[in-house]
Amino acid sequence: MTTQVLICDDSSFARKQMARALPDNWDIEINYASNGIEALDLIRQNKGDILFLDLNMPVMDGYQTLEGIRGEDLPTMTIVVSGDIQPEAMTRVKKLGALEFIKKPVDGIIISQILSDFGISLGSESNGAANKAIDSADDDDYDLDDSYQELANVAMGRAADLLARLLNTFVVMPIPNVKHLEITELEMALAHVKSDDSISAVCQGFIGSGVAGEALLIFNESSYADIAELMKFDGEITESAQLELLMDISSVLCNACLNGIANQLDINFSLGHPIVIGQHIHFDDILKGAASQWTKILTIEMGYQIENKNINCDLLLLFTEDSIEALNERVSYLLD
Amino acid sequence: MADISESGLVNIKDIHWLMDMLQTIDVGLIVLDRDYKVTVWNSFMENHSGVGPAQIKEKSLFDSFPDIPEQWFRQKSESVILLKSSTFTVWEQRPYLFKFKNYRPITGSAEYMYQNITLIPLLSADNEVRHIGVLIYDVTDIAVNKLKLQEANNKLKSLSKTDHLTQLNNRGAWEGYLEKEFSRSKRSGQISSVVMFDIDHFKKVNDTYGHQAGDEVIRRTAAILTDTLRLSDIAGRYGGEEFGVILVDTNAENALIFTERLRQRIESEIVVYEKFEIKYTVSLGISEFTTECESYQEWLEQSDKALYFCKEAGRNQSRVFIEG
Repeated sequence: MTTQVLICDDSSFARKQMARALPDNWDIEINYASNGIEALDLIRQNKGDILFLDLNMPVMDGYQTLEGIRGEDLPTMTIVVSGDIQPEAMTRVKKLGALEFIKKPVDGIIISQILSDFGISLGSESNGAANKAIDSADDDDYDLDDSYQELANVAMGRAADLLARLLNTFVVMPIPNVKHLEITELEMALAHVKSDDSISAVCQGFIGSGVAGEALLIFNESSYADIAELMKFDGEITESAQLELLMDISSVLCNACLNGIANQLDINFSLGHPIVIGQHIHFDDILKGAASQWTKILTIEMGYQIENKNINCDLLLLFTEDSIEALNERVSYLLD
Repeated sequence: MADISESGLVNIKDIHWLMDMLQTIDVGLIVLDRDYKVTVWNSFMENHSGVGPAQIKEKSLFDSFPDIPEQWFRQKSESVILLKSSTFTVWEQRPYLFKFKNYRPITGSAEYMYQNITLIPLLSADNEVRHIGVLIYDVTDIAVNKLKLQEANNKLKSLSKTDHLTQLNNRGAWEGYLEKEFSRSKRSGQISSVVMFDIDHFKKVNDTYGHQAGDEVIRRTAAILTDTLRLSDIAGRYGGEEFGVILVDTNAENALIFTERLRQRIESEIVVYEKFEIKYTVSLGISEFTTECESYQEWLEQSDKALYFCKEAGRNQSRVFIEG
């Protein structure tokens, strides 16, 4: 009997990656959903015997979807596939009824292993070929920004995991934002920091295999009190104490995120020493020293928040215009 | 790549030139084990510290360099080990880890070397962090330049706001404060007062004793004013012999106490300039903030009107502006 497999992810790139990672010799029909509402609908129509479910999605996220499945007692086996790899995320989805938790980017060998652990029988080598054609039919709608977003999603998941361990808390992971901007429009890339907020900012350059740019961490200064508390920092939060906290956080976030990107693209970045752009500044001050030769940049914005705390920071990855070609080439390998 | 022999030294025979590079590079390279004992110590470290690799190898970094802030360094290192993630510190945070004296008589611009530090987790074959790499960058020139620039900018900023003769705020700066205080009062409803005052018959002082004597009178007036003010009040030289004062969180009644004290102090003052003894008086106009005030200019104008009434009524007095 043909098994109905449902892949639910807001990124078409991630859906494709997932579909390609499924074993060839498995008699299945693949269905796709881009959020939880669509997924629940398809499961009700018996199109989701097995559900591969992303966690961070707009409209209805993975947690809500799991609640929906449990609430209606829908007949599906859920395997969560997530860029958010915090132990807490794993615990939460298992509590909500997920059978397994797979880290992104997905690995075909691990999926086969899990399927066989669950006693799902895979057919002989020959009868899968026809099904594979189904998912490659939509290759033409290949969207590069979508793949950057997925790339960033995985990288930021790793960074969130480290931050969560550093602060011993749960980091709320939003969906990364990909934009093509003029450098003067950088403010449009920010989600959590407003132009009149008092901020601290740190920059760190990176370069490798034709891909180069800068990571920019913008830290809302209203966050310091809560950060100090989480890091068990005693005493008055002086300016130098703030700088200490800022550097600790930027080291972890920038490093983990850039390494996450580099690993996926199979390159090595040389990281420059971080530069403190300023404390108690406003967003406008950041661009005062900006070089004008880069008119167009690719930005990926990741807004980190800490659950139940007033902690907001934006990590922006800015890629130079002449990195785009190398970046695109590397990203295209990810689907092979 | 390089083998680590049992002594902890890199096998020099195989990679002589690579060693050479690491020794020559103008960056401090240290490898520490999990007990903070030194495993690698390059020439930069030897030459700046005066401690050679043979002396420090297998010894605790903290024992050899008691100046190092141990708790701080351990904390950074432990998180590098735990998270398997590098960490960076900048000189703004802590000027230096190792207290290396300036060694350049001519171009050395600071007493000690400013340092940026990178801590790197070094993974063993079993993917565990058993060593930490420490990179020490000499950033003295960058740091000193940045500090100097900051200092120059601060100086410029204060110069552009200060009146040269009196060292009070100049007119532009003072009006800026008045505008801020006006919007603060609008928002919070807190009552502040503004005072405009000038020196009576100042032209006569100039004509009789000369401009330099006039300058001395203005300087003395500013000094007495500064002496009479509370810390939160803001004074400025508005024009030639005109001064403005913002009395924060002060109603007209209390402002009048302030202006009378100031007036009496000036009245009893004798300015000695060369062979002259100059006595002079001032007239002061007060305006309390009211919500009817549309702008800070209107508020200021009211105090100017009160000042005008003082002049009409015979000078050497202070008055509060009354509507109508």
